Amino acid sequence: MAPPVLEIDSLTMRFGGLTAIDRLSFKVERGAIHGLIGPNGAGKTTTFNVVSGFYEPTGGAVRLRGETISGLRMYEVARRGVVRTFQHSTLFAELSVLENALVGTHMSFPPNIFAAMAGVDKANRRAARARAEEALDFFGLSGLADELAGELPHGHQRALGMAVALAARPDVVLLDEPFTGMNPEETGRMMELMVKLRNTGVTILLVEHDMHAIMGLCDRITCMSFGRLLAEGNPQEIRHHPDVIEAYLGGARHVA
Amino acid sequence: MHSSVTSLAAILGLGAVLLALPHALSFSQQEILVFLTINVLVVASYRLLTLTGEWSLGHVVIMGVGAYASALLSKRLGVYVPVSMLLGAVTAAMVALALSFPLFRMKGFYFLIGSFAAGEIIRLLWKRFRDPFGGPKGIKKIDPMPDFDIGIYAFDFFEPVSYYYLALAVVGVSLWIMWRIERSPVGLTFHAVHWQDRLAEASGVNVRAYRTLAFVLASGFAGLSGALLAHYIGTINPNSFDVEQMVFVLTWTIVGGTATFYGPILGCVVLTILNEIVLREAGFEQMRPLIYGLILILSVLFMPKGLESLVRGALSWQNARKKKVGETQATE
Amino acid sequence: MVELLAQTGLNALYAASYTALVAVGLVLIFGVMGVINFAHGELFMLGAYAIVAVYADWNLPYLVAVAVGMTFVGIVGLGMERAFFRPLRDNPLGGLVASIGFLMILQALVSMGFGVRMEHVPPVTQDVIVISEKVRLPVFRLAVILAAVVLLASLWAFLKRTRFGWALRASAQDPEAAALQGISINQTARIAMFIGAALAGVAGALTAPLISVNPHMGHSVIVTAFIVIIVGGIGSLEGAVIVAVAYAFVHTFVTTFFDGVIADIVGLLLLLVVLIVKPTGLFGSTDRA
Repeated sequence: MAPPVLEIDSLTMRFGGLTAIDRLSFKVERGAIHGLIGPNGAGKTTTFNVVSGFYEPTGGAVRLRGETISGLRMYEVARRGVVRTFQHSTLFAELSVLENALVGTHMSFPPNIFAAMAGVDKANRRAARARAEEALDFFGLSGLADELAGELPHGHQRALGMAVALAARPDVVLLDEPFTGMNPEETGRMMELMVKLRNTGVTILLVEHDMHAIMGLCDRITCMSFGRLLAEGNPQEIRHHPDVIEAYLGGARHVA
Repeated sequence: MHSSVTSLAAILGLGAVLLALPHALSFSQQEILVFLTINVLVVASYRLLTLTGEWSLGHVVIMGVGAYASALLSKRLGVYVPVSMLLGAVTAAMVALALSFPLFRMKGFYFLIGSFAAGEIIRLLWKRFRDPFGGPKGIKKIDPMPDFDIGIYAFDFFEPVSYYYLALAVVGVSLWIMWRIERSPVGLTFHAVHWQDRLAEASGVNVRAYRTLAFVLASGFAGLSGALLAHYIGTINPNSFDVEQMVFVLTWTIVGGTATFYGPILGCVVLTILNEIVLREAGFEQMRPLIYGLILILSVLFMPKGLESLVRGALSWQNARKKKVGETQATE
Repeated sequence: MVELLAQTGLNALYAASYTALVAVGLVLIFGVMGVINFAHGELFMLGAYAIVAVYADWNLPYLVAVAVGMTFVGIVGLGMERAFFRPLRDNPLGGLVASIGFLMILQALVSMGFGVRMEHVPPVTQDVIVISEKVRLPVFRLAVILAAVVLLASLWAFLKRTRFGWALRASAQDPEAAALQGISINQTARIAMFIGAALAGVAGALTAPLISVNPHMGHSVIVTAFIVIIVGGIGSLEGAVIVAVAYAFVHTFVTTFFDGVIADIVGLLLLLVVLIVKPTGLFGSTDRA
């Protein structure tokens, strides 16, 4: 059996006296859409921040294809093929849509200042532009290439965030609450795009609150509570898992 | 095709005007023109530094590092002046590289204070160590640029016109290089680091390396401008690069606006002309710090995007009008 | 040697007293308004010139001159608050830049009014307390130290015991919550600016008879104050006082045993080290960072 593309191994993250992640372990298989869920404050976003290199974990490890990547800086993690998006619409709001995607091509076509001054990087620039346009096209943003990113409607901003990630040709993308603030129609379109993205061979790990989207989209789901692993399984198993129901509904289900 | 022809014509026209300009001016105005040309390089390099979002209060001191280095190299070691100027620029860039290690652990407001402190330390070192920096009195009798003849023009560097042409060439090439950098993927990455450093880093950008790159490049050009200044005025001391000079640079930059390449240059040119025509002619020269302070406050309060925003506003208004005219013609 | 140390210690205590006044004022302004007042050294300078005008030129009693200087500089502070700190409340960097502009204006105005040459203020009292043959404490220095202690103690009492002080501390901690409590941000900003500026002014007024007064004297004052407030943890009044005393001792001793410029370099290096290692300062919380 092929090793998992991403392995989280007894990961622990403490801030002062607070333990945000407590010996969390799970694996993400290649080519999967893997959901990470849990009630508010369960430590999902912190997990993302550790995996992407924004925080250095207090204990445990994150491994990519067997190589330990925890403790690396965010750009070093990105250069190994793990690219993340951010909550809300974190974009280069003052740059154009195309320029946003061009930043995403940074790793594949690293800028060279001497070549740029001498004007001998034309081929590189053309290839970067082609890659960026391809990424925009994938998310249906081609017609908006010259708009300012900050002036796009919300749904398009979300798609652009993913296009920036895709332009980097990642092996794994980490999507932080990609459906927040979307109406059902937009959510449906975004779900289609994610399946399309997965079908190109990209592994997706996403944090999300929208249960409907998570259940319809994910191959596998990890549920966290208070920083710990609560349950893992396919959507069917998670939906009926008593601990998950307990964590989400608390005592409320008796009332219901 | 058409637009590249017009822009080429515009550049040639501007070049011709700049070449002819000193001959329409008095001797003292020619001297001011030399300072203005050098200051254009200072503000343009300052904007390069601000591209990644950090504002420094040590830029003028870094300019001074270039001035001191070039003056000492030519005076003490007999280095040929044009070479010493380039080495002055390199020294300023190297000092900036060394300073970047502590400074880029800070951001925003802390970076501002940190850069101020670093600049003050350098100034105090100049003051404290008479050998080689000359102490509070600084360095005097700095070697002038050696005269030379290029066939069509004989450079005599005691004439401000000659020095102006030299400065114009050096500054022109420097601006062209900065322009190429900004329009390249490197420049795009600078902007990305400025607007969203986390997203840039998630895209694989080594944010700190790019901040350092912008800082070192900007410092190199600042050092070059300092060297140009030193070999023109012949005397430099720690107070030539004090906070007051930094305030002038800040004022030019903020009044001009940093959103575009030409903004700070515009601010520098407009304020210098204002200074020379209005203040000097009216005999208010010693009120210059007062006026600059006032302008700085007023522009922060009422024109946060700078003069260039007015220019852009005028242009877009004109474009909108053109478009409208075009539309009405189309319907006719 | 012991006597040299004792004498240097007394000198350091005097330096600590006015440094603390300046730094505490700066911290108070930063705490309540969230902006660094780059013109703080020039407020100190204004206080010193109040002495030149009222005491040296008009021959009014020294204490009257100090009171006039303190009030006048406090009013200048109110003007700064109204003119640019208030409109730039959401733009702390803009406020800082505006205060740099104001610094230039104050220097230029004083240069025009008094000239750029050094002013010497006649001594208020020449009495000296002779502790031993080589250890002497001029009475005036002692008075400055005591005045600083009294002023800082009154500020402390004001902040801890009065309703205004409570409002000030509340809006320093959490401006939004304070606003919900019915505390007027404009009013607390005015009070903080008046007190902060007045403290700088009184520090200038108290030291004027002992130093040469000139329009550019604010520069070294603001450099020292920056070192103190950042090492102390910007926003911490206690930190500012403690570091002001510690810094004055380091600076005075290094000046005595090496020289003044080396002492300045040591101080600035200290600032850089603290900025690198712990940007929130030795006594600072992470709230405002």
